[in-house]
Amino acid sequence: MTELIRFDQVSYRYPGGQDVLGDVSFSIAQGEMVYVTGPSGAGKSTLLRLIAALCRAQRGQIVVMGQNLSVLKPRRVPAFRQHIGLVFQNFNLLADRTVFDNVALPLVVRGYAYADIARRTRAALDALGLLRYEKSLPLTLSGGEQQRVGIARAIVTKPALILADEPTGNLDPKMAMDVMRGFARFNEAGVTVMIATHAIDLIEAVPKRIIHLERGHISDRLPTAASRLGETHGVR
Amino acid sequence: MAFAEAGLERPGFFARFAQEHLRVFFFSLGKLRQTPVAAALTALVIGIALALPAALYVLTRNVETVGYSWRESLQISLFLKDSVSAERGAALAHEIGARQDVAKTQYISRDQSLTDFKAQSGFGDALGILDENPLPAVIAVTPARSVGKAGVQELDAELGRLPEVDIAKLDQKWLERLYALLDIARRAVGMIAVLLGLAVMVVIGNTVRLDIEARRDEIEVMKLIGAPDSFIRRPFLYAGFWHGLFGGILAWLLVTIGVHALSGPAATLAASYGSDFRLSGLPAADGFSLIAAGIVLGWAAAYVTVGRRLALIEPR
Ligand SMILES: Nc1ncnc2c1ncn2[C@@H]1O[C@H](COP(=O)(O)OP(=O)(O)O)[C@@H](O)[C@H]1O
Ligand SMILES: [Mg+2]
Repeated sequence: MTELIRFDQVSYRYPGGQDVLGDVSFSIAQGEMVYVTGPSGAGKSTLLRLIAALCRAQRGQIVVMGQNLSVLKPRRVPAFRQHIGLVFQNFNLLADRTVFDNVALPLVVRGYAYADIARRTRAALDALGLLRYEKSLPLTLSGGEQQRVGIARAIVTKPALILADEPTGNLDPKMAMDVMRGFARFNEAGVTVMIATHAIDLIEAVPKRIIHLERGHISDRLPTAASRLGETHGVR
Repeated sequence: MAFAEAGLERPGFFARFAQEHLRVFFFSLGKLRQTPVAAALTALVIGIALALPAALYVLTRNVETVGYSWRESLQISLFLKDSVSAERGAALAHEIGARQDVAKTQYISRDQSLTDFKAQSGFGDALGILDENPLPAVIAVTPARSVGKAGVQELDAELGRLPEVDIAKLDQKWLERLYALLDIARRAVGMIAVLLGLAVMVVIGNTVRLDIEARRDEIEVMKLIGAPDSFIRRPFLYAGFWHGLFGGILAWLLVTIGVHALSGPAATLAASYGSDFRLSGLPAADGFSLIAAGIVLGWAAAYVTVGRRLALIEPR
């Protein structure tokens, strides 16, 4: 199996802080779907940010899609990031543009022909059941619909890798389940998916490989009802 | 790396370039239309800042024109030695009149001088008590139009060395002063233009900076989806372009209106001096230069601002 992501003893700290990740090593094969779990502050978001080259590890080596990130030139970062679909808890949609324009944006950035952009965007919207909202503004949609717009934008370029940071954090349980099943469907279509979450019930409903973080280190202890308790303290 | 890109064609470089730039061209114009009052105020400030040096420039050009027309009345008076006969004097005037750098000459004999003087001065009787005519014969030389300032002085010096000539007198002190003033004015216009050009850049830079702050979230999202800096920068550069364009057009308009408002009184004034002088506005070529200057300043200001600001915005 082709290796898509590799972490070798990676440590990271925010400027002026302590290590947020320490000696993290793991490998993810192409086509895998992986949950990154752990209590709030464990370093889940930081891990995904490192993969997307949003920040740079001080120690260790990260290789993503054959690219060694420690030698990736800042100038080349945008092109690298174009191969990754990012999904966020707060959706990160542009409020003053229509659903269609939001989803089309990654294609516009890459300079495709308009006809292709329109066709691909509609296909992505259709896949997420959003076609009838294409002319709406994001804020007129429900949270679950907005997150589907965010996912449509992430998959519209058919990326090899999707990184989702707490994608269901702002959704009610039913919508959250829909979204998780959606990710699983993309994964079945061959896309590698990494989801940072602490929603244990969803993980149990759609079981996949788990990378569990505790205070910046990978832990063998899998998330349990106990950590679920801890997490509810952390979140609410 | 296996990226599933089947079914997607990237157009050729030029097609992509045209598509992208046209899109942003109109997108940034549309953005300005969303805040018409702010855009109009910015254009007004830029327009006034550009109109000031342009108006001063128009003023110096007009004064220059007036100066040139006055030069026609410029004369070199050659006072001839008493020993020179009237025949020789008239012949000399004729010789000098044949020179390339001389438009015309007029010989005024001693008798003629005296008659003129008596008629004009009212001291006729006083002169009558003198035994001899004290006035010299004069050749009035009008330099050719094509001769410049230096040429006139050279002519003056050369004619002064002629054996028949006692003194050559060139009365152009006032003209020299006018030219010196014009020179100062031109330099002042240059300096004011540079200073106000900087002011224009600051205004546009600040407008673009506020625009960037207002669209910070959007820029972060752009960076997250892998938009290169050139892509993110583009709409702001075009915004600078539009600000500069509108400011330049407004400046031209202001100058034209100003010239129009002053042309009536200026013509009246000129007519009272018997001149048919007309105030001229900004020639089309200079008007377009003004607009081009606005565009260049706007683009440059946006480029500098956006380059500095963009690096500071990192996706959270
Ligand atoms: N921008 C930042 N600057 C400094 N510290 C940060 C920053 N972002 C996160 N941290 C710290 O890093 C740790 C891990 O954060 P994060 O990766 O967001 O955890 P998680 O996503 O698992 O909740 C936390 O202790 C958090 O306080
Ligand atoms: Mg997080």
